[in-house]
Parts: sequence; C-alpha cells; structure tokens
Amino acid sequence: MLMTYTPYVALLFCVAGIFWRVWRWCSTMIGPEAIDSSPWHRLGVMVRAVGAAVFSRKLWAICRTLIVDVLAQWPIARQSKVRWLMHVGLFYGVLLLVLLHALDDLILADWMTDYASTLNPYMALRNVLGFLMAVALVAAWAGRRRNPVRKRFTSASDRWLLAVLAVILISGIILEASQIISAPVFDEMVADYWGSEEAQEIQPLKAFWSRRFAVVFEAPVDGSAESLAAGEELHIAYCADCHSAPRSAFMAYPLARAARPVAPLLNRMRVDLALWYLHFIAACLALALLPFGKFFHLVSVPVSLMVRAGGDAIDTLPENRSTRRAMGVDACTHCGLCSQHCSVAPIMTAIENSSILPSEKMGMVHRMARQKLSPADLRRLSQGSEICTNCGRCTDVCPSGIDLHDLWLASEADLHASGYRPPHGWIRTRSMAQWADQIKEDHAAGAEVEERLPGPKFTENPDTFWACVQCTTCTTVCPVVAASDNPKADLDMTPQQVMNLMRLELKEAAMGCRMVWDCVTCYKCQEHCPQGVPVADVLYELRNEACRRLNPDTDQGTHTRAKRGSGNPQENGTERFHDD
Amino acid sequence: MSDLKEIKTDLMVIGSGMAGMAAAMFAAGHGIDTVQVGISGEINFASGLLDVLGVHPVAKGTRWADPWEAIERLVHDEPLHPYAKLGIDRIQSAMDLCLDFLKQAGLSYQTSGRRNSKIVTPAGTVKTTYGVPRSMFAGIQALDNRTPTLLVGLSGLKGFSTRLIMETMGPSWPALERITVDLPNSTGELYAEHVARSMDLAANRRVLADLIKPGIGECRAVGLPAVLGIYRTNAALDDLETALGIPVFEIPTMVPAVTGLRLREAFEHRLAQLGVRAHYQQKVLETEALPDGRFQFLVGHQVPEARVLAKRAILATGRFFGKGLHADRLGIRESLFNLPVDQPDERSRWHHRDLLYPGGHPINRAGVMVDAQFRPINSNGDVIHSNLFAVGSILAHQDWIRQKCGSGLSIATAYGAVRTVAS
Repeated sequence: MLMTYTPYVALLFCVAGIFWRVWRWCSTMIGPEAIDSSPWHRLGVMVRAVGAAVFSRKLWAICRTLIVDVLAQWPIARQSKVRWLMHVGLFYGVLLLVLLHALDDLILADWMTDYASTLNPYMALRNVLGFLMAVALVAAWAGRRRNPVRKRFTSASDRWLLAVLAVILISGIILEASQIISAPVFDEMVADYWGSEEAQEIQPLKAFWSRRFAVVFEAPVDGSAESLAAGEELHIAYCADCHSAPRSAFMAYPLARAARPVAPLLNRMRVDLALWYLHFIAACLALALLPFGKFFHLVSVPVSLMVRAGGDAIDTLPENRSTRRAMGVDACTHCGLCSQHCSVAPIMTAIENSSILPSEKMGMVHRMARQKLSPADLRRLSQGSEICTNCGRCTDVCPSGIDLHDLWLASEADLHASGYRPPHGWIRTRSMAQWADQIKEDHAAGAEVEERLPGPKFTENPDTFWACVQCTTCTTVCPVVAASDNPKADLDMTPQQVMNLMRLELKEAAMGCRMVWDCVTCYKCQEHCPQGVPVADVLYELRNEACRRLNPDTDQGTHTRAKRGSGNPQENGTERFHDD
Repeated sequence: MSDLKEIKTDLMVIGSGMAGMAAAMFAAGHGIDTVQVGISGEINFASGLLDVLGVHPVAKGTRWADPWEAIERLVHDEPLHPYAKLGIDRIQSAMDLCLDFLKQAGLSYQTSGRRNSKIVTPAGTVKTTYGVPRSMFAGIQALDNRTPTLLVGLSGLKGFSTRLIMETMGPSWPALERITVDLPNSTGELYAEHVARSMDLAANRRVLADLIKPGIGECRAVGLPAVLGIYRTNAALDDLETALGIPVFEIPTMVPAVTGLRLREAFEHRLAQLGVRAHYQQKVLETEALPDGRFQFLVGHQVPEARVLAKRAILATGRFFGKGLHADRLGIRESLFNLPVDQPDERSRWHHRDLLYPGGHPINRAGVMVDAQFRPINSNGDVIHSNLFAVGSILAHQDWIRQKCGSGLSIATAYGAVRTVAS
C-alpha cells in the first residue's frame, strides 16, 4: 500500500505545488507599473506571449538557451569552473539516477530486454553516478563553508536541499551494501527462482555466494573447492542472468565487506528493509518538496532563462513585468555569487544590514511583495536598497540570468511609494528650519543616550571651522552645486554657507540643509579648501549624526533603540516620515 | 617610513602660489631637476593682474605711472625691501620671461609698454597695475578714452554690480550704460567658475553675444565680468568681439575668481610639460636637514605619501593665509624650518593703533630675512642653511598689498633665487 501510493501522493504534491508557485508568479506585484489584474488574466497573457515566442524566430534563441544555459550550464562555467563541475556533477548525477535507477521500471525495463538492476553495466553505472553525486555534494557543502559571505548567509533552504539529497544518497549506498550481505534476501530469491525444495542442494550455491557475493549466512558454509565449483555451476544456471559480481558496486561493496562482523545481527534485524523504506520515502519527499524552497530552482531557473530568451516581446507587456520579476525572484538559487561581486558589500563591515547584499535583499523583496515585512524590516530593506549603487554587477554574474538590476529599481520604487524614502528624499518633506526644530527636540529627548555613542569628531570642535574665510572655493568646485540650476532652491545652502552655519553654532540648521544630504562625498571641496577645512568630513558627519538622532534604526541607532528599550513609535523617528 | 615612495631631486620648490610657480618656471627654464609641492592657496585668489609696483610711499598713497622709477625710489627709501637685492634689469627680465611663459601656456598678457596701466575694479575704483590679461586690455583704452561703454551684468552673479561701477565711476566716465542678462538654465545664484567653464564652449558664447547685442546701442565697447572661459579665453574674446563688432573686455571679479584659476591652470599645465614633477594638493608635513647637507621632506595630503630628498630647496609658502607664517600669542613663526622671523618685539606692537592707518601695520612687514642670494639669515646676518632659499610674500621688509607689488615681488625674487641655484 505504502509503496504503491506514496509516489503518487508525492507527485500530486509536486504538481499542485508547481501550480501554486506559478500562480504566485501571476499574483505577485513588484514595481510601480504592476497592474492589479487577476492572476488568471496575467497567466493567460504570459502563456500567450510565450506561445507566440515559441512559434516565431525566437524559437532558436529558446533552443539555444536550453542547450547552452540549461543543459550545458554555461552561465555557471562563465563564473567559476569549479562551481560548474560541482553543479554539473550534482545535476547530472541526480538526473541520471532518477531516469536510470528510480524510474528503471518505466524506462530501462521497457527498453532493455535483459535489464536487471543488479547486472552490469547498470550496477556499476549506479555507483559511478552515486560517486559523482557524493563528490558534488561535498564540494557544494565545502564551497558554502569556505566563502565567508556564503557561509554566513547559508539559509535553511540551502541546508535542506543538500541534506535531503545526502540522505537519499547515503541511504542508497548503505541499502545496497545491506542487500549484498543479506541472507534473508538470498533466501527470498531462492524461494522465487529455485526449483528444488531440497535444502541440501542449495548448500554449494550458498558457499559460492558467500565467497564471491559477500552474503553472510548464520550457519557456516562448506568452503571446499568442490563445493565452490558446484556452486558456480548452480550460479551460472540460475543466477548469472540477473547478477553480476558485486565488486563493481564499488561504493557499496567495500561497505558490505566491512560490515561482515555485524552482518548476522543486521540480517536478523532486516536493516535492508528499513533502509529501503528510508531511501524510498526520502526520494518521494524530494519529489514532493520540488516546488518548495531551493528545490524549486530545478524548475524555475530553466523556465526563467527560456522565457527571457523569448525576448522583449514578452517582457514589455505591462502584465508581464511583475510576473517576470516574480519569476526572477523564484529563480534565485541563493548561490551567493551576486553578493560575492557586489560593489557595496564591504559596507556590511560597518552597517549590520544583510539587505545590502543582493542575495539576501532578494528574499526581502519577495516578502515585501507578499506584504510579509514588518515596518522595521522595511526600514532595513530601504536602507539596504539605498546603499545599492545600481552598478549592475549582480545582474552580470547571476548564473540564473535574473535581471536583478530591474528588480532593484522596481523594489526601490515600491519602497518609495509606500513612504520608505531615502534620507535625501525624506529630508525634502520639510524645510530646513522645521528639521532644525525637529532635530533639536529629538536631541533633547535622547540626550542621555547620545553621550554613550562615539562622539562627533569634527562638528563639535571649533578648530574645524575657525580658519574658514568664506571664500566660496568649496562651493565653486562642488559638482552638486554645479549640477543645479538653482542651488538655493535645490540645496538650501551651499557648502561654504553650511560651514558658516557651523561657525555660528547652528548645527541643527546645518543638519536640515539639503546640501548636506545631497553631498556625494567626492571630497573636492576638502581638497581645494585653501584653509584646510575638512568640508566633506563635516557634511558626512552631520548626516550621520542627524540620522542617528532622527532614525534610531540606522547603524549606531540600533544601539540607541536598545537603550531606550521600546518600540514606541513616539520615539521612533522615521515612523513619522513614512506617514507623511 | 621605509615603505614611502622616495623621490630624489636637485631642487624642491615648496609652494604653488605665484612665487612657487615662478620658481618652478625659472628652474625648469634652467633645466634644473625640480619637484614642486603645494596646496592650491593664494593663487586662486589672484585677480589676474600682475603688479610690479603701484604705490610708494604707502602712507601717502602715491601712484606711479612708471613702475621702474617707483622701484628706484622705493629702494632708496627702503634699502631692506627685497627689490633692493635685484636691480631693475633683473626685475624686468623676470617679468618678461614670466609673461612670455604665460603666453606659451595660452594665457596672453599685455602691458602699456614698460609703464603701468589703469584698470577698473568691480568696485568701480581704479587700480594701477603692470601686466594685464589680453581679455582685459581693451578696458584700459576704454577707460583712458572714456569710450561709451556697455557694462554687462549677469543675474545671480554675486560680487559684481554694474550699478556700483556706474555709481562710482559716473562722475569721471559718464558715457557708461548697463544691461543685466539672464543666462539660460539658471534661475538661482551663479558662480563665476561655472559660467566660465560653459564659455569655453562656442555655442554658449553665441548665446551670450545674442543676449548682449540688444543693449549695445551707441556704445563702442563692452565690459563684462571675468567669465570668458578658463582654457579658451582668447577664443572666447575673439568670438564675442566678432559677434558684437566692438572691443570687449573683462573686468576682474571678486576672488576667488576664474582669473586666479586661469593662472593656476596655465602654470600647472605648462610646468608639467617642462618636466617639473609636481605634487599639487599635497604639502610638506615634516622637514629634516640630513647630515649630508640634503633636505628630507615628508610630503602628503594628510599623511605622508612620499619622501623627497632634495639638494636644495626654495621656500615659497606665502604668509599667514598661505601658511608659510604662523602667528600665535608667543609670536610669529616660520612654519616649516622654524626660520628666524623679523617681527615687532612685542605682540602689542603688531598693529598700529588706527586699523585703517594708510602706512600699514608692522606685522605686514614681518617675515623671513634673507641675504643677497635669498638665503634665510638670522638677525646677525648669518646664513641658516646654505642650500635653502626663501622667496615671495614670506619675505620681510615689504608690504605687497599696500605697495601693489605682489606678483612682481614673487616673480622677481624667485628669479633671483633660481639664478643662485643655477650657478
């Protein structure tokens, strides 16, 4: 019963799960141009667009993607040959084991008239594939351990995939070994295929199998040369059609030999049966899990790659924009290559926010689209998104061919739309004077905490400004001022005017200046200042301190919040701005 | 320290103001292997006008049409003035070489023969000067002849008011008209450097000419703030004159102005071509006289980035703004070598009781004393380092601002020091 129905239940799960994922592609909204139409409609549009691409010249591109990107996995090879070897080993190890071993009754048994799983080359091939898979699994695990970024952000999903595959593999190898040594299995086969009822006649065969096939019988067998010769004759007559020597099972055989001392015990316990159930259930579990977590990339990556190969005609349809992005999110294997190449990843050393890393931001964006992020999470995502410089390196290296750059632009726009603006965005919601009042007020409330934080280096020291002669050199060289048609309206104050505010001890007013927030930290002002005033350092410090005072959740601010000891929105600066 | 890049040189020029640039220029002319270090300082604040000597004695404010005659008189009255160590011929040679150098660098200058010229300032006053940028020279003739002239203002440009110039000049030059133009793509404050950079492009010059044209009327010359390009000022001037059909001249603007930037760019560009190894935006952080007679300088922006070993050094670090001199409660010090500084014996005597006293304050004449070869000396006249020279405004016994001799002093003393180095 169990054996008959479990695979079908698993298959049902698998199919239903895949449909659920596809349904989610069509119901997720990412990006400002997302159209709120029914998933059925979006699915229809997508299917029609893909169909049109398949029946056009794009078919060649799609076939090429299938061969080069999906089957040869070239995008992975382009990034790392070692990783490609690992992935190809795992992919083809699993795929061929599924086709040649798991589905042998459906495939090989039909094609090959004399097929038996215990015959060579099938038995040896199974071990070769198992070995390939084992090496690849170890490589995958080691790869995650070795790279500090990937090690740190290895998720449960990453572990599950490797763990389930490892269970299937290891149980399979031990299962084979336990079957080799098993006297009960020998007896079952004798019962099925042996004509005679005479127990005595079977003894030479037992002797032969004990010697050559490593079966362990409880009763001693007659190991004489005559007995073995007689046994070999019987073997050739009754068994050789279905059984090659187990030596070619080069993974399981040594294990079987090693297990000889405890074999009688194992045989009595019928460990082979227990392992068989384990192996079978684990395989069914893998099938059922296919639509979930990282398992799904087996489906989503090829689909995403090939839909992309279908061309712009698919992407440009407004209904498909969001669907494609959701597909992209699902095609992420969390391999971490993007984060290894991310140009702002080093900022992680200063700001503890995993949303800076593309591989981690990906999950957050997905959860944001499903409305599953708390305001605190959204603030972190917003911070991570604003740190991103849209350099596009993540998109360049992604082996799944995800257009991450497009995804970040879309998710940033979504964040802005829901009120999570970057500092230079929300600073524009009020005037300089209003901000000055606000910062003063917040400062008064948080004064006790502020003292424990590392103090400002430049802004509190009058020596920083005393030499300023207001000569405007900093303003004249500033590219931000130069980019503006009307600096006063765009920036409130120019750099030399901000320095003057500092000289007048109007620090809060300086913090409210748009100039401070629009500064690109190019340091031209500082390099050109004839008086050696660290203009850029001052602007930078003003920004940091204002952030700390206004928004307890940014870097050192987390510290502040912990000290304040509550999530009271009254104390939570940015909460107010999001309501604006 | 050992991992610092080591640079060996025959001559180290410390400073990138007018004196430092001139020293590097003359050294390169003599084929001396030269390293120059300096942060952009006072040269950015140059009006572009190269004075030799305009006023003497300063207490009377007497202006001189002939600077050389003025120098003879100055040297007679103030024998300690740095000009006294040079002689008229050398000062003239130095000025000629410098103007020639700038011309080759693309920044043309003109003089009224060997005489001083009179030029209108942005305040509407008249200044006596010697070398005048070609882009301003038409203004001298316009002022001399009281030519009917259109003054062009730019909306949003601070520190330049055609109305102020007309109010001040009006009585002596009634034939002035004015117009204020709005440059496109600009609604707020204008910065002279940004406008000047845009005027390096011909298309923008055509736009400006079209804006000025309607205001010309009966005027025979056009004066506008100094914004006609930074690198292609000659072309900008020619284009405007062609488009308007009458002489065009620039009037200096408030500093820091593009006139200073042009000088800096011209020097930096041409000196590099002549093989001067420059470390601009870096300064000398530490100085040490080595036992073998050489100097070791640690050079960098904020932390040492290179170690320069120099056989000789020329100190052209300027005064207080240039950071060559440092004043505190204990007195005035020379910043790098701690050279003796000639100064009033008490701080209370630094300044005259009257802030605006025309004769100037004693502190203005404080500075480094040098011998006839421009080597720093102490009050007994002993040379401090035989291979160290000091030039420019850091020198004692001069008041370059009131005497209107800043550029001439820098160029001529640099010329004098480099002659000694070369021989």
